Amino acid sequence: MTTRFSRGNTRTAYLFLVPALVGLVFMTILPLLGVAGISLTNWSGLEPPQWIGFDNFVQLFSEDNYFFHSVAATLYFAFGSVISGILYSFLVALLLNQKVFLRGMWRSIFFLPYIVPIIGSSIVWSWMYEANFGVFNWFMNLMGFDKVKWLQDEALANPSLILMTVWGCGNLIVIFMAGLQNIPRTYLEAVEMDGGNAWHKFRHVTLPILSPVIFFNFLTSVVVNLQTFVPAYAITRGGPSDSTLSMVFLMYREGFMRNNFGHSSALSLLFFFFVAALTALIFATSRRFMFYEGE
Amino acid sequence: MRLKQFSIRTLLNLVTVVAGLACLFPFLWMIRSSLMSNIEINTYPPHLWPETLRWDNYPSVMNTFPFVQYLINTLVITLPSLVGVLLTSTLAAYSLARLDFPGKRLLFVLVIGSMLIPTAVTIIPIFLGWTALGLSSGYIPLIVPAFLGGGAFNIFLCRQFLMTIPRDLDEAALIDGASHRQILFDILLPLVAPVLISIGLFTFILYWNDLLGPLIYINNTEQNTISQGLANFKSGFGTDWKAIMAASVMAIVPPVTLYFIGQKYFVEGIVLSGLKS
Repeated sequence: MTTRFSRGNTRTAYLFLVPALVGLVFMTILPLLGVAGISLTNWSGLEPPQWIGFDNFVQLFSEDNYFFHSVAATLYFAFGSVISGILYSFLVALLLNQKVFLRGMWRSIFFLPYIVPIIGSSIVWSWMYEANFGVFNWFMNLMGFDKVKWLQDEALANPSLILMTVWGCGNLIVIFMAGLQNIPRTYLEAVEMDGGNAWHKFRHVTLPILSPVIFFNFLTSVVVNLQTFVPAYAITRGGPSDSTLSMVFLMYREGFMRNNFGHSSALSLLFFFFVAALTALIFATSRRFMFYEGE
Repeated sequence: MRLKQFSIRTLLNLVTVVAGLACLFPFLWMIRSSLMSNIEINTYPPHLWPETLRWDNYPSVMNTFPFVQYLINTLVITLPSLVGVLLTSTLAAYSLARLDFPGKRLLFVLVIGSMLIPTAVTIIPIFLGWTALGLSSGYIPLIVPAFLGGGAFNIFLCRQFLMTIPRDLDEAALIDGASHRQILFDILLPLVAPVLISIGLFTFILYWNDLLGPLIYINNTEQNTISQGLANFKSGFGTDWKAIMAASVMAIVPPVTLYFIGQKYFVEGIVLSGLKS
């Protein structure tokens, strides 16, 4: 009886896993090997590729300043967006965790920008940032400042895109709110009994209990924002002076606009190691500030 | 003391209202701009609301922005992909959550590990692979991956949810002579319906909003998706802001409508992904 079941189990299990395994092989493993192989060629898609060893990498590190600009732009945008996004969403979640009126409605409103296609929000925000008639410059004038060129100014382009990204991170708010609602009331009451104030509750109960949620939000936002593409493609074209030249946009530009598949694959491979190293670093440092219940 | 309590409450409500309205502002600005003439749109200081509401901006923008065509194109990609994601991720999740077989641990680690690999890394070899098959132009490369497991994250989410359902249920059914297909589709799937709805909604939004995929695989403007059409429209009519805003409003109405219909499941899905993993 049991053996018949387990033999049937094995066959069914492999059968059900066929699509996922084909995907794993053809959409992940082979392409990863492929990207490494292509990075050692000068493939342009038109002529047969030639083996050129590590020339693409040598070029990226020596001649091609684009690479270093793109690393700087990606790090600036990703960490700017993640840190501001976490702070914003955590503050909004704390606010909505209070007994504010129409709480459900406000939650929907704060979540809504997350649903909007990034191309849509990029277009709307670029219109609000427009230098002559844009609404942001009107606010600047109302507050007594001069107009500025938000997206055409090397120093302001990234902060402008970061503000737009922060607006779109309503998913983080929802996760934080759920985490806050899971905090046992007894813990908070215990702090009150000991004469603690709101800050003590936040510092010694809320923050430690939420640390795994903060970590999850942090990690997923880092991975998402390192892959930023749409604003650079649709709005800034990587400019001004490469300040918003994200690595994925550079990969797209080299690969699909200039047909340098070898060069672009070398970039992809470096991007892979770059993301892997950052993820490992985040995991390694997370142990220091994480708190797990029951430890 | 009571006065202090009262004023803190008022302050919190006030902050919420101000922040919430600020969050809504881009939507308001987009709608307001889509209903103006280009002369009014380029007035300074800006008018907060149009002097006359120019609803005819919408029909007239559709001469250059074929919204209905884009809508159909996007659905032609999205709907089959939705079927593929739901079907193949459920099958994989059932194996990983319910069945015992040699190599299970290794496969689970591989599937979950692939979740951490940024999709952008592999776009070039995958594109060259489709090119070698002669299929690099069209919808096939955008739809087929959905039928290949439906994404590691969805498999993981569905597996986590299946694990919460007692296994006695399947065993009883097995003894009654049910097949694995019957156990999965007739007994378990109704129980995990909420997570499937969440996965479905998020997949829909993901495909709807995708820009990089269509840019790589769709070269024919008549086949453009909504996101792609909107990006092209922006680069082609860069200063015709009233038209661009009207096109943007049309492009975001479908996902926003879907959100208000399925709000409960969106929120549950997000909470599940954030707290269960």
